[in-house]
Amino acid sequence: MSDQSPDNETPASTSLTNAATIAGGTGEPIITVQGVDKFFGDFQALSNVDLVVGKQEVLVVIGPSGSGKSTLIRCVNHLEEHTNGTIIVDGVELTKDIRNIQEIRRECGMVFQSFNLFPHMTVLDNITLGPRRVRKKPKVEAEAAGMELLELVKIPEQAKKHPGQLSGGQQQRVAIARALAMEPKVMLFDEPTSALDPEMVKEVLDAMQDLAESGMTMIVVTHEMGFARAVADRVAFMADGEIVEVGTPEHFFTNPQEERTKLFLSQIL
Amino acid sequence: MAPDGQAAPPGIAGGGELGTAIAAEPPPRRGAGQGIGTIFRDNLFKDAKNSILTLIFGGVILFVLFKTFNYVFITARWEVIYNGPLEFYMVGKDFGRTGISFEMLWAGIYTAVLAMGIGSGLGYDPEAPPMRRGARMAMIGGPLVGIVFILSMTRTITPTLVTLGVAVAMVVGNRIGRRLPQPIRRRSGWILLAMTALAFGLITDFTPSNIDDFGGLLLTIVVAFAGIALSFPIGVIMALARRSTFPLIRPLAVGYIELVRGVPLISLLFMGQFAIGFLFPPDANIPGPIFRAIIMITLFSGAYVAEVVRGGLQSVPAGQIEAGKALGLSPFTITRQIVLPQALRNSIPALIGQFISLLKDVSLLVIIGLQEMLGVVDVVLARREFVNQGYVPEAYAFVGTIYWTLCFSMSRAAQRLETRLGVGTR
Ligand SMILES: Nc1ncnc2c1ncn2[C@@H]1O[C@H](COP(=O)(O)OP(=O)(O)OP(=O)(O)O)[C@@H](O)[C@H]1O
Ligand SMILES: [Mg+2]
Repeated sequence: MSDQSPDNETPASTSLTNAATIAGGTGEPIITVQGVDKFFGDFQALSNVDLVVGKQEVLVVIGPSGSGKSTLIRCVNHLEEHTNGTIIVDGVELTKDIRNIQEIRRECGMVFQSFNLFPHMTVLDNITLGPRRVRKKPKVEAEAAGMELLELVKIPEQAKKHPGQLSGGQQQRVAIARALAMEPKVMLFDEPTSALDPEMVKEVLDAMQDLAESGMTMIVVTHEMGFARAVADRVAFMADGEIVEVGTPEHFFTNPQEERTKLFLSQIL
Repeated sequence: MAPDGQAAPPGIAGGGELGTAIAAEPPPRRGAGQGIGTIFRDNLFKDAKNSILTLIFGGVILFVLFKTFNYVFITARWEVIYNGPLEFYMVGKDFGRTGISFEMLWAGIYTAVLAMGIGSGLGYDPEAPPMRRGARMAMIGGPLVGIVFILSMTRTITPTLVTLGVAVAMVVGNRIGRRLPQPIRRRSGWILLAMTALAFGLITDFTPSNIDDFGGLLLTIVVAFAGIALSFPIGVIMALARRSTFPLIRPLAVGYIELVRGVPLISLLFMGQFAIGFLFPPDANIPGPIFRAIIMITLFSGAYVAEVVRGGLQSVPAGQIEAGKALGLSPFTITRQIVLPQALRNSIPALIGQFISLLKDVSLLVIIGLQEMLGVVDVVLARREFVNQGYVPEAYAFVGTIYWTLCFSMSRAAQRLETRLGVGTR
């Protein structure tokens, strides 16, 4: 696809793919992505993506716009269907079977750039909907758990309001609480702070950092390099639908190997 | 199609406008020291051009008002309404000859009104912003003028008492609805449905075929109500079916919707009267003409409701569905809990427009020989004491007032519902 692609066959590139082996966490894989392609019609959004994420690991995905970051994590919980390859989440391979898909979605909480809270429900109802309908938790229990999560993201006093009455930062924290309410094993974040006013970015990143420190496995697509440096176990750089380079934050920000990575970092840092 | 108040007689319309005009007149409340004179001068006689416009339009308004009052109170010969035939307008013939039981009829109407009141109370939100004064005056004042006018045509006290009773039932229902405890509230949909069915049972004396005896306003309301109640679920189901990815479902829904929308209601009504019979075996118990009309109106309105709801469904952002999927919710739960509530709320204005035009479409029943309210006018005007004596305007003005009162109340109630449901969600 680009002049860099032959490099993928070189030993250096292979060793980088090997660096894609798990860094942080327990070392036990929880998400395995193998040779995944994704086509939108004729357009290839992902090509031959390999990635392993370990339990309790925090993986930050960066890359230019249109490089396929969102597509990758949306394939993991089947919001997009991958065209080729294998995706395994917590030992379950993602197939087309709706029950299989729902099983995997239960284990993957997702936080969107545009929050996507349900505007016609109160904050607490937003949070308890999943546990009550999917996990069949009784209402009282689900609400108690929901209030605990709201304490965790530091907005218990907003429980009875509607999302439209909250600030962007508060809404995104509700969205995090809503995803956590399903007690997922993995959390997927797709640019969670990109739609926020600058002064609200920190409160959301703080909530995410707390979550990472509590041992949650996380894949985070973000442009917040400070967050990547401080919280990530590994950083993956994507371009043109490929994972170009994966490594620890130190490796990544001090000693990147690939030209495309260097170029990208020079543009944003 | 357009939910306009086409039949509003000038007197009533004038009254309504006057109400809003007065309420809207003094927007900036400056200090208490300012007299009404100042307000008049600032708003109506600011400069020469302003004054001339005020005089011209003031003159026109006064002239229309004068003409209206003159007609309503002096020249109109309302005996075509109150001198006997009022029952005709209400039930289509002399009450005694209808076979309708008076007690059952009113028990049914009270049950229906109570259900409506409870329904309105359920949506009550203490935190909702109070209505603007002008809107409140229009909501109460408009129908009030219509109702007073209608009641002024009665010559006994009973109708007034019964109307007051209806108002009380509405308010009582509303208060009950507001206070309903949570567990009952959750089943309120079923309770309201049961009450509506009971009301229909009472009104027809638990013999549905009695409905073929109905006429006048009663027939109009029963047909409109049944049409609304039945076409709403059909429309929602068809709208969902139209978006379905199942093989056969979508083309079926599209076929139904496009077929019905391509045909005038009148031809459907004629088909209902003359063609449906062929679908039944010769000795079958074919539903009566009014039932057939209800079926056709329901089918007709259902297709339009489906398109309205489809628009509402499209207005729900894809991110909402994705968020539901990401939680692991089933497609059914996503539709029921996330998509439909938002889609229906967004459809309310267009839905009410559709239902108002359904109510007015009921007047087409006259063409297939059913004496709904408009058809009754012909019957009354054909009576010996009224025939060929120029009573036409009075009769139509009266019927028009009733239509206007119904449609206007519906549209105001819808507006109220809309603001309530919009609270805290934008
Ligand atoms: N539903 C779709 N249909 C067609 N093309 C799509 C679709 N979704 C994404 N694409 C294309 O796939 C490519 C990757 O998109 P993706 O959203 O994954 O990029 P991204 O890395 O998340 O970018 P950004 O930083 O802007 O969010 C883009 O070129 C985009 O145009
Ligand atoms: Mg993206």
